[in-house]
Amino acid sequence: MNRATKILLPLGVAAIALVAWHCGVRLLRSDLFPTPLDVVRGIVELAQAGLLLKYIVASLFRVTWGFGLAVLIGVPLGLVLGWYSRFYAALNPLLQILRPISPIAWIPLAILWFGVTDAAPIFLIFLASVFPITVASCAAVHNMQPVYVRAARNFGLGTVALFRQVIFRACLPQILTGLRIALGIAWLVVVAAEMIAVNSGLGYLIIDARNAGKRYDLVVAGMVLIGLIGLGLDYLVRQLEKFDEVRWGYASNSR
Amino acid sequence: MTLRRTILLFVLAWTVAVTLLHGALNLNLFSRKPAAGGAKSGRIGFLPVTCHLTCPVTDFINKQGEGSIFEPLRFASWPELKEAYLSGYTKATFILAPMAIALREQGVPIKIVYLGHRDGSAVVVHKDSDIHSMQDLRGKRIAVPNRYSNQRLLFFRALKQAGMKPDDVEMIEMPPPDMPAALYAKSVDAISSGEPFMGQTELDGYGRVLWLTKDVWPNFISCVLAVSEDAIENDREWVQELVNGIARSGKWLDQDMDNRMDAAKFVSRNYYNQNPRLLEFVLSKPPDRVTYTELVPLKPDFEEIEQLGRESGILEGTAHFDDYVDPSFAAEANRLSAYDWKNEP
Repeated sequence: MNRATKILLPLGVAAIALVAWHCGVRLLRSDLFPTPLDVVRGIVELAQAGLLLKYIVASLFRVTWGFGLAVLIGVPLGLVLGWYSRFYAALNPLLQILRPISPIAWIPLAILWFGVTDAAPIFLIFLASVFPITVASCAAVHNMQPVYVRAARNFGLGTVALFRQVIFRACLPQILTGLRIALGIAWLVVVAAEMIAVNSGLGYLIIDARNAGKRYDLVVAGMVLIGLIGLGLDYLVRQLEKFDEVRWGYASNSR
Repeated sequence: MTLRRTILLFVLAWTVAVTLLHGALNLNLFSRKPAAGGAKSGRIGFLPVTCHLTCPVTDFINKQGEGSIFEPLRFASWPELKEAYLSGYTKATFILAPMAIALREQGVPIKIVYLGHRDGSAVVVHKDSDIHSMQDLRGKRIAVPNRYSNQRLLFFRALKQAGMKPDDVEMIEMPPPDMPAALYAKSVDAISSGEPFMGQTELDGYGRVLWLTKDVWPNFISCVLAVSEDAIENDREWVQELVNGIARSGKWLDQDMDNRMDAAKFVSRNYYNQNPRLLEFVLSKPPDRVTYTELVPLKPDFEEIEQLGRESGILEGTAHFDDYVDPSFAAEANRLSAYDWKNEP
């Protein structure tokens, strides 16, 4: 595929989807469901009111901190779990119990513990992303080729150096894949996390628009913005794969 | 540049930028204006419904004049509002009367000090439907906001009046903001919640009012102002000031139509984020659709709610008027006159 097709192909599909959306609304004669143009007008209205930047920044803030804390805790925890089998045996069942619980179920507890502050949605986003990160890091250690560790031992590396210089590096490609998935999940739960009465954010925009009567154009505007920013975040994380430290871990280097 | 340095720099720059921007844009950390509410302030939970209208009205008038005495905090649904109160994050809250009674039965230190409104609810059906009376609702699906909502009790009462049994209809719980779309899509046959969500269906031309609350249960109460016992014991002055404000703005709203239209505008714009036409509509068509005077909590009203609550299975009947109401603030507040305030453009 050359560069032009790579850009034109998805744009073409997006254009077809937009036309289908528009015609669908027109054909069904729904005056509640907005057309793409209504949604664009809604976004422009938000921008003019100065809310667009505010809401985007608020959501990014919460996801940054929630996801950041999840990385700081999840990656080391996962590596340790993967390396020490006793830790794994002790903690893994608990992790697997907590993992499938939806962040929505945690909302009441988040409000009780953190009130209606930014800490509550950050906590929910943290919960949603910490488990996939831990599991991915742990699995990365399990899948690591033992020859790296044997070589390192032969050179007489201590435990700390072994973790930092060998295990972490060997697992990095798989950890990054895990981070990419976890970031997607963190961004996914932003709507649920902002259902708590914080007064800003793209999730809040959707909840607020439902309160505002017939403003489904703003509901869909919130959805579209979340999708587009999600695409941007994923693009950023994928840039990491271009570094040599990571690229060796992927089967094909041609991408 | 190496991977590690790039990532470190990028993550650091990103985190700092996003945090500073959030602080500046949303938390107003860097503006010179003092934040809303002073030392003598507590948070009050409310929903964007007409049942809670006096909360933003009081706040707005106070802000223009003597300064705010509380920080209004808008929620999107009942469970979150209740949980914020239980966690102590809000010191007082507008809440469904039966929900407050149920919380009291479960040992929560909560006291009702004033009523939010009277009337102000409706049962709406799709305009194309052939439902014209309670009898026509037999076997139909009806959306109510919450099992603890007075709308549900209202339905029990209406069913009784029509000689029907609760099993004759199917009641489901649904957040009021979702009701108009559900009725539009005909996924429910009738909806009932606080305004302006009922008025919205009329305004948009697909809803028809089956009956207004005032036709079935005159002087209907759905929401009340409730305060924690802790605030009553330790902060009587603040509670009194709060109830005074709510009482005075209620009288102000019922004083004349101009005030109501003013309120519709500034509340829609600054608090509810709704189209002002909605509030204008429900506050004027007809004017007694919802009222904000005669809001002292009275024993007979609550005895009726208690009884209906027991019959419908949401209340145990272990808490009574004196347990969950503290009428001492309302008596004094009710002697005050309406706010002497006009909105100047």
